[in-house]
Amino acid sequence: MTSLPLDGLRVADFSWFGAGPIAGQTLATFGAEVIRVESETKIDALRVVHPFAMNPDGTFKSGYNVSGYFNNFNAGKLGMQLDLNTKKGQEVGYRIIEKCDVFLSNFTPRVINKWNLRYEQISAINPRIVAAYSPMQGLEGPHRDFLGFGAVLTPVTGISHMSGFPWRPPIGVGTNYPDYVVNPGHTITAVLAALRYRNKTGLGQLVELPQIESVVNSLGTAVADYLANGNVQVRGGNRSPIAAPHGAFRCLDDPSSVGSIDRWVAISCRSDREWRQICEAFGQPGMATDPRFSTFESRKANEDELESLLGEWTKIRRAEDVMALLQERGVPAGVVQTSQDMLDRDPHLKQRGYYRYLDHAETGRAAYDGPAFVLSDTPGELRWPAPLLGEHTMDVCERILGMSMDEIADLLAEGVLV
Amino acid sequence: MVEFTDEIGSYCGRLLADLGADVIKVEPPGGGVERHTPPFVTGVDPGPDTSLAFWVHNTSKKSVVLDLDSGDGQAVARKLALTADVVMEDNPPGWMLQRGLDYHALHAAKPQLVYTSITGFGQSGPHANYAYTDIVGQAMGGIMTLAGEQADPPNIIYGQQANISASIQAAQGTLIAVLHAEATGRGQQVDVSAQEALSMSQETAMQTWDLQKHNRARTGEKGMIPVQLPGLGIYDCTDGQIYSYVLAPGGAEFSELVDWMREQGLAEDLGDEPYASICPVLNMAYLTQVMTDPASVGPKIQILGHINEVLRRFFATLSAKEAYEVGQRRRLLIGLVSTPKDLAENTQLRARNWYRKLPVDYLDRVIEFPGPPYRLSVTPVQITRPPRLGEHTLSVLAALQG
Repeated sequence: MTSLPLDGLRVADFSWFGAGPIAGQTLATFGAEVIRVESETKIDALRVVHPFAMNPDGTFKSGYNVSGYFNNFNAGKLGMQLDLNTKKGQEVGYRIIEKCDVFLSNFTPRVINKWNLRYEQISAINPRIVAAYSPMQGLEGPHRDFLGFGAVLTPVTGISHMSGFPWRPPIGVGTNYPDYVVNPGHTITAVLAALRYRNKTGLGQLVELPQIESVVNSLGTAVADYLANGNVQVRGGNRSPIAAPHGAFRCLDDPSSVGSIDRWVAISCRSDREWRQICEAFGQPGMATDPRFSTFESRKANEDELESLLGEWTKIRRAEDVMALLQERGVPAGVVQTSQDMLDRDPHLKQRGYYRYLDHAETGRAAYDGPAFVLSDTPGELRWPAPLLGEHTMDVCERILGMSMDEIADLLAEGVLV
Repeated sequence: MVEFTDEIGSYCGRLLADLGADVIKVEPPGGGVERHTPPFVTGVDPGPDTSLAFWVHNTSKKSVVLDLDSGDGQAVARKLALTADVVMEDNPPGWMLQRGLDYHALHAAKPQLVYTSITGFGQSGPHANYAYTDIVGQAMGGIMTLAGEQADPPNIIYGQQANISASIQAAQGTLIAVLHAEATGRGQQVDVSAQEALSMSQETAMQTWDLQKHNRARTGEKGMIPVQLPGLGIYDCTDGQIYSYVLAPGGAEFSELVDWMREQGLAEDLGDEPYASICPVLNMAYLTQVMTDPASVGPKIQILGHINEVLRRFFATLSAKEAYEVGQRRRLLIGLVSTPKDLAENTQLRARNWYRKLPVDYLDRVIEFPGPPYRLSVTPVQITRPPRLGEHTLSVLAALQG
């Protein structure tokens, strides 16, 4: 195994759900030793929700270790069980933090306070630590203790108001979108910058990622437009101010797409040249010079008509064929892919080896998201699957914390390592 | 850092520039796509220096205009790039190679260089040269199929989220490569594909196919719950909307909501049977039961419907902000469906002075602007106004020759 760029970095991952654990997984993928601290007394809810792995007879497996939701965010970590509601548990927590370079948490300020994990407390033990907290609203302020997770954050941050068709209510985007890339990715960007600063100065620091700030920052121009111009943007569906047509167009159904047989292709047309290419690709060259559609302005003015015309052309074809037809001519087009497409059918993802398959003691062989950026000399790797609950408790206590077997036995007997 | 980026990679450069990197953006004569994308600052002529689409991804940078289709421009660009610790680019694969500015050419001259390429589909594979825009990334990346109503086409998420995701992944990859280069003297290429950058945002869909062999589809307003339950979903208020998630775990239970309605004299008949005995059991366990077996609701559907109507009438008497802030103080999982105006006026963001004031000298205005994604205690983020097109061409080229 070649060395990884973050070899030697140790991370105390006191987080749960999505945004926190994904941040830790990124560091683990590039070589950090990440200690995921959790407890059966406050179980990470992702361990106990679908999708569960299945038995050969078609029933779902059960227990704490078989959820693909949890497992996909925790590969390559050490799994440590520790009850932070106990004083001894908090002492062990401090011993972990003492041995780490980075601390990660997305618990609410109330829980951080209860477990005595505030920055001034942990930096007193380890002044060099880079401590990243990512609560929903922030560590201070009048809404500090407001509750929520991705489902609440999506409307609060404006994503719901701004996404979807204008004739629909603000229905959201089908997932807890900010949890998976925006928040963990911003967190790690700041942590890495702080580590670089520490390399130069020896100083650790507090990194705070209020999730609301992280998401609103990356919400297009909506807020900037209001602040600068007083303009309140509304959701505009799939259209674009600089392209027409721009949207998803229905193609032939595919009964082999299990649970999602309707097929769509996304098409974006930004120039008259691309419009000509689209018309020629569908054998309709006359439409390129039709005055209703021949210029960007006319396509915008007749966009409803334009979209139904294009829909007529796509609906008798397979989505994959439309994509190929248009891509041959340099027009941006892509199948609205399902997960089945991405895992089993997309030849590109397959050749790049994006998804990784790991053998897990309870789920069996299962797919994981691979590194979302590839470093040419030191590509990241998922070194092992997500830990079973408490799988590495003994290893962490002995090897990293230097505990004797007697001490570990006492902590087990006292219900601290649960 | 020197960047040759437009829509896909600009936000990566912004993140690093706001964190203190000296980022020089090399732009074509006239500027790239972002500089010509609306909305523009009103009250002045729309143009490359007034596009808010450019501004939100290009703060704290310098701008140098070079014609990379000319031999002279390419030579200057190469010289400039070799002064950098990091080069970032988001052009179609092969484009930089044709101009002598590709990873191998620059890395050969400067082995410690980190070179980040941010594209729709990455540097290798059968789709590497596919034409790409943000909607194509959202489609091919698996998130679009999850968003929207069944009766509608799948929805994109607002705000160029394929590009944003690619940029955020690129910022992390770049910084890891920088730490590695500073420790070892060896630079490398960071290859980011917007399609892969989004994959994690499929939430559970990828694992659902892998483990259970069915596809998650878009389920619209109802989400994963096939029956309308009271306290779950969008509610109209006097001046806007809220999203309620009261049956989910982590917050106060439905009975707390009924208490609030009662205090306001708006609980109507929810204290009478059959409603009185149903309200206390509307919780996560019930929600799970309904998700597993929608038919179990049975004749209760009308009772639940009535409770929901009373709840609708209650929320309709409140302002959306009041429903959000008072509800949250009662520990109810309620979110404001924020409009841009709501965000600009958000109590928490204002109390924490999140918005920044950017003096824009050339417009003779101070413009308020969204703040950074994070707060670093020792090295706080600093944001300065985006550069005018070519604002630093002369000074940067003079320094390069000097």
